[in-house]
Amino acid sequence: MSGLTPDISEYATRESMVHQEELTFGKWLGNIWKAVSTCFKGMMITGKYIVARKPVTIEYPEVREELPANSRSRLFNDVDNCIACLQCAAACPVDCIYITATRRDKEAPKLKTDDGTPLKLDLKQYTIDTALCCYCGLCTTVCPTECLTHTTDYEFAQYTLGEMKYDYLAEDIRAWKHRVRG
Amino acid sequence: MIEIDGKEIGDLSSFNTEKIKSDLLTLNMGPQHPATHGVLRVEIKTDSEIIAEATPYLGYLHRCFEKHVENVDYRGVIPFVDRMDYLGAMGMEWGYSLTIEKMLGTEVPRRAEYIRVLVAELQRIAGHLLFFGTYAIDLGAFSPFLYAFDEREKILRFFEELSGARLLYNYVWIGGVWNDITDDQLRRIKKFIDNFDEELKVFHSLVGENKIFIERTANVGIVSEEMAYQYGATGPVLRGSGIDWDLRKKRPYGIYEEFDFDVQVGRGEKGTLGDCWDRYDVRVREMHESVKIVRQCLEGIEEGSIMGKVPKVLKVPEGEIYMRTECPRGELGYHLVSDGGKTPYRLKVKSSCFTHVSMLPEMAPGQMVADFVASIGSIDIVLGEVDR
Amino acid sequence: MLNEVASFLNSAVSGCGATAHTPEVGHGHVLVESAHLHACAKALNESDEFDMNVLQVVSGVDYPERIEVNYMLASFTKNTEMILKVKLPKTSPTETVEVDSVVDIWKSANFLERETYDMLGVVFKNHPDHRRILCPEDWEGFPLRKDYVVQKEWEGMEINPAHKVNSGDHFFFKDVIAKMGGDEKKVTYSWKSDAEA
Repeated sequence: MSGLTPDISEYATRESMVHQEELTFGKWLGNIWKAVSTCFKGMMITGKYIVARKPVTIEYPEVREELPANSRSRLFNDVDNCIACLQCAAACPVDCIYITATRRDKEAPKLKTDDGTPLKLDLKQYTIDTALCCYCGLCTTVCPTECLTHTTDYEFAQYTLGEMKYDYLAEDIRAWKHRVRG
Repeated sequence: MIEIDGKEIGDLSSFNTEKIKSDLLTLNMGPQHPATHGVLRVEIKTDSEIIAEATPYLGYLHRCFEKHVENVDYRGVIPFVDRMDYLGAMGMEWGYSLTIEKMLGTEVPRRAEYIRVLVAELQRIAGHLLFFGTYAIDLGAFSPFLYAFDEREKILRFFEELSGARLLYNYVWIGGVWNDITDDQLRRIKKFIDNFDEELKVFHSLVGENKIFIERTANVGIVSEEMAYQYGATGPVLRGSGIDWDLRKKRPYGIYEEFDFDVQVGRGEKGTLGDCWDRYDVRVREMHESVKIVRQCLEGIEEGSIMGKVPKVLKVPEGEIYMRTECPRGELGYHLVSDGGKTPYRLKVKSSCFTHVSMLPEMAPGQMVADFVASIGSIDIVLGEVDR
Repeated sequence: MLNEVASFLNSAVSGCGATAHTPEVGHGHVLVESAHLHACAKALNESDEFDMNVLQVVSGVDYPERIEVNYMLASFTKNTEMILKVKLPKTSPTETVEVDSVVDIWKSANFLERETYDMLGVVFKNHPDHRRILCPEDWEGFPLRKDYVVQKEWEGMEINPAHKVNSGDHFFFKDVIAKMGGDEKKVTYSWKSDAEA
């Protein structure tokens, strides 16, 4: 039934079929020897790894990895030092930082940031939508008072999209300050 | 008379079997398929085990970043170009920065140039190690993947210390680099590099010299010189076809002309020139060359600033430019059209993976399905760059 | 080099109107008439002097009155590269423009031209497989045109549905302005878009 077998020459010729040399008995034995010897060599290398190598993985939930100090993970804004200059929002390539501030009353007591910059605006809203954030770090580099920084926290999965929104004026997030700033 | 189970089913002697043609079987490979290295769908028409026709369908990872960056200022584009070839992000950033610097006429400090070469070559090693590991998996060997990832992890850890991220670095900036490199880090790279050269030889003897691996890759997926030119192949695919073409040598950018290294081309050692084994071999030997460049970098690195003079509000003068750089997976080109504003008017990316995918319909016919997997693996595509 | 290419093209292809443009900043290009593009490309590919054996990328750029299609050609034997440009005038935003395909000269043009069609609506005549490549086949409009508006619905699916986008806080500044007695000057805020919630 020759007509039922596929005629591969119709499409193209399979390269390895074309280039195959004639198989003699000596070559056949040689091939087997090569296959066995190279596989044995590979097994020796793998064996060395089994015996001589220490495990490089860690058992995650029990053992937690410390990320390097300048690792770009969850953002933290120290709102006490924020002067609402909007530079971070302007630098953000995905526009995920929302800031609202009002002008400070002239009669109100004068406030300064840690590095001595006077506060002229009252921060009313500082929200970062971390579901949109791409962790590029451009916002932290433009911050003049260095209040916006990346922390090394890496476990912040949430159940809903709304929870991914961080309101840095909220008390519980403000409380991170001592942990993050040391 | 033909009988089946004792029943006569008729006389087939007058039946002309020559006229029966077996139908082609349409098979969808992907989008979720481990051998396509991402979300690539290839519709293959097979005749039993032999492929008659293959049509790649792209776009499963299409973000249209070219449209998005038209609304982002020039510095903000860098996080987006990272996400094209996420396994070779340093090269992507360098190419983009080079394009803007050329338009602005910015001079990059020597130290920054050295750091750029250093990270780009380490990235090339990391990218090729990933190819090495996943290619072995494609062909059925699992443990080389683990060994390669162990070494790659060391490079990624170093990048994480340097830039803060493991894959999407945003490290090479317009005019220089973000963070300075410390002496301690340089010492650790030296230690890694010294160890890595030996390790790589072990890797090669584990995979590249294995008879089964050679049988699976030699004489498979041949890209001839003519075909490589026709399809605009670049990088290891072009060099695997025996063409001595490397942008780092032929059109040096950065400070590559100061480095002493060889361009590795395919030799057709185990089969025909331009087959899968040649492409694998070129990549392995390229890693050795990268080690050489990193060594020279560590010796020659100069003190100084890491950021050139770039205006705070970036406005690129009106005009157009096409710059290309040699990335791990091939040449990467940026065609930038500027109207003098703060954002690019048009940024078109020439992606080497995209042109390599277009070779698949010509490589596939006549191959076995398993050989086709080897062919896809050997051109080493990253779908983030194909679809952009 | 661009001037030599232009004079070569003018002598090889009559009426192609090749002109070389060399700006002060960036790279120059050779502009040819769109009707003679295929002949010019063939001449450049076949000439021994230039030997443009590689088409690297086809890059379309949308302008209000025209679409420019750039062909990045390179010679890997002579180590040269150049930009060949055609200008295709368009009268209305939705209109597609036409130019000859160069697939028969460089096979890499197949995917590259399909991408340019998909993104910018440039129809390539005599292309063997003229389909969209990155967007779905039944997508409307051409995304990289400047006046592109994304469609509302695709195959019964809403595009950018509201429940997938975090919103609400974006317009917090409006409440603050209202609280301040409607005085916008007293409030600074980061939200730039004019879009309503």
